Amino acid sequence: MSVMSGEGNILIMAVRNWVYYIKEAFRSVVRNGWMSFASVGVVTVTLFILGSFMLLNINVEHLTSEIKNQVEIIAYVDEVLTRDEVDDLRVSLIQMVKVEEVRFVSKEDALVRLQEQLGELVEGYSEEGRNPLRDSFEIRTIIPEDIPEVAASLQAMTGIARVDYGTDVVEKLFRFTGAVQWVGLAFMLGLALTAMFLIANTIKLTVNARSREIMIMKYVGATEWFIRWPFLIEGLFLGAIGALIPVLILSYLYGETVAWAQLNLYFLPLVSPETIIQQMSKTLLILGTVIGGLGSLISIRRFLKV
Amino acid sequence: MIEVQQVSMVYPNGVNALEQINICIERGEFVFVVGESGAGKSTLIRLICREYLPSKGSIKIHGRDITRLKRREVPLLRRNIGVVFQDFRLLNNRTVFDNVAFAMQVIGSTGRDVRKRVPEALELVGLTGKAKMKPLELSGGEQQRVCLARAIVNQPALIIADEPTGNLDPKTSMGIMDALKNINIRGTTIIMATHAKEIVDTMRQRVVVLEGGKLVRDERRGEYTHHGC
Ligand SMILES: Nc1ncnc2c1ncn2[C@@H]1O[C@H](COP(=O)(O)OP(=O)(O)OP(=O)(O)O)[C@@H](O)[C@H]1O
Ligand SMILES: [Mg+2]
Repeated sequence: MSVMSGEGNILIMAVRNWVYYIKEAFRSVVRNGWMSFASVGVVTVTLFILGSFMLLNINVEHLTSEIKNQVEIIAYVDEVLTRDEVDDLRVSLIQMVKVEEVRFVSKEDALVRLQEQLGELVEGYSEEGRNPLRDSFEIRTIIPEDIPEVAASLQAMTGIARVDYGTDVVEKLFRFTGAVQWVGLAFMLGLALTAMFLIANTIKLTVNARSREIMIMKYVGATEWFIRWPFLIEGLFLGAIGALIPVLILSYLYGETVAWAQLNLYFLPLVSPETIIQQMSKTLLILGTVIGGLGSLISIRRFLKV
Repeated sequence: MIEVQQVSMVYPNGVNALEQINICIERGEFVFVVGESGAGKSTLIRLICREYLPSKGSIKIHGRDITRLKRREVPLLRRNIGVVFQDFRLLNNRTVFDNVAFAMQVIGSTGRDVRKRVPEALELVGLTGKAKMKPLELSGGEQQRVCLARAIVNQPALIIADEPTGNLDPKTSMGIMDALKNINIRGTTIIMATHAKEIVDTMRQRVVVLEGGKLVRDERRGEYTHHGC
């Protein structure tokens, strides 16, 4: 019986505490109206930039992977090889770890393809012994980034005369997308840290204003978390609001952009809004609340040392 | 109830504030800690509240060594100690009632308890009728009474006061002393640091004298002026 009522008390106490934490947090948001406005503004601006960058980055990635997937290696076979030797070569190509698909194109097939493309210009080569083309393999790798490496090892194999994969374009593309991703990451990290620093300073002001209250709380025996929660909730709330605003704006803008692009730039394959917006919203909301929460924990730490 | 054993305190800046202090205080005692400015009175009081840790020695309260408390146990210790400061430390934007209630709210008391015990505490320190006023509308003596009410409202076993009359004139001071005496009679242990000789001499309680961080005298029913023989 007494145990039951004890548990009941703990529950009632917990509920009462949470009512207090939330009330205090919102009171502080209202009391420090301008500072709250400023920190929400800071988070909104940083996360807006970050979100735009994210949308851009995902689209660039999407675009390059579309291009990358069309890139393949063409390995021309040495003319002296017999059919059996060509078959052996095919087997050893298929067995390479990084290779996804190997297609054999005989010189006859190649000629037919060429004639289809160029028509009359290449007529007359069809007779036995007059075909100037070579047998070749068209090879796709599992990851497009492995193309240069696989091409190099093919080059070294006996039986392969020449390897072709549009060296320049592919390497430039890979280097470019790699750079875009790194710069983007560094940029986003910088922005997130800035936002956190700013929100920490904002909340530090509200903590400063209430340092007397905090000191008294410590003297009468309030626990550290009792003191911390209102500030933490305040930070989480400011961060979440600061994230919600850019999420709404960016969702709207991206939807409009995709609709416009479908009409006017139909060749540009943009990522559809449904998937990308969900991903962006999740990231921004998590980042916003984490930034706000960490900011407030950082700013209150000093005051709890008594 | 309180055993201070071989306590020394060296501040991080190298100041030697207390050396080898031994004091034993029984439940229900009223103890003055006196000494000149810089003698180490406040330091001793801060050590008993666990505001700082002593460099050496142990401090036991109810048999428990508070120098070994875990961080999260410190609030529980503080709930058993009421602290009164020279500069009151009230929240000036809240009423007298809310200032006292605050001490109960932050340790999670029920509204019913708050409505019952806050008026009781205010009555005990002689502030009935001033519950709705703000601290800055009160005299210094009255503000100190609010602070006293806040210290006793959670019914701690021990009250620690660091120069509670330091900012008050002699007559007002005696009023505060009467209130403290009242609280003491109800069984609460009281430790009070002061350098007001008149108060110590008229109260005739136990006096612990510090000098340059050393305990030089510990006398039952003592007088401050008496020392130096
Ligand atoms: N936080 C601190 N850091 C470093 N030294 C300190 C600190 N607090 C006090 N001291 C030093 O410790 C010594 C004792 O100080 P304490 O405040 O305990 O004296 P007191 O007896 O309370 O003096 P008063 O009557 O003026 O209040 C002094 O020399 C003081 O300068
Ligand atoms: Mg002092």
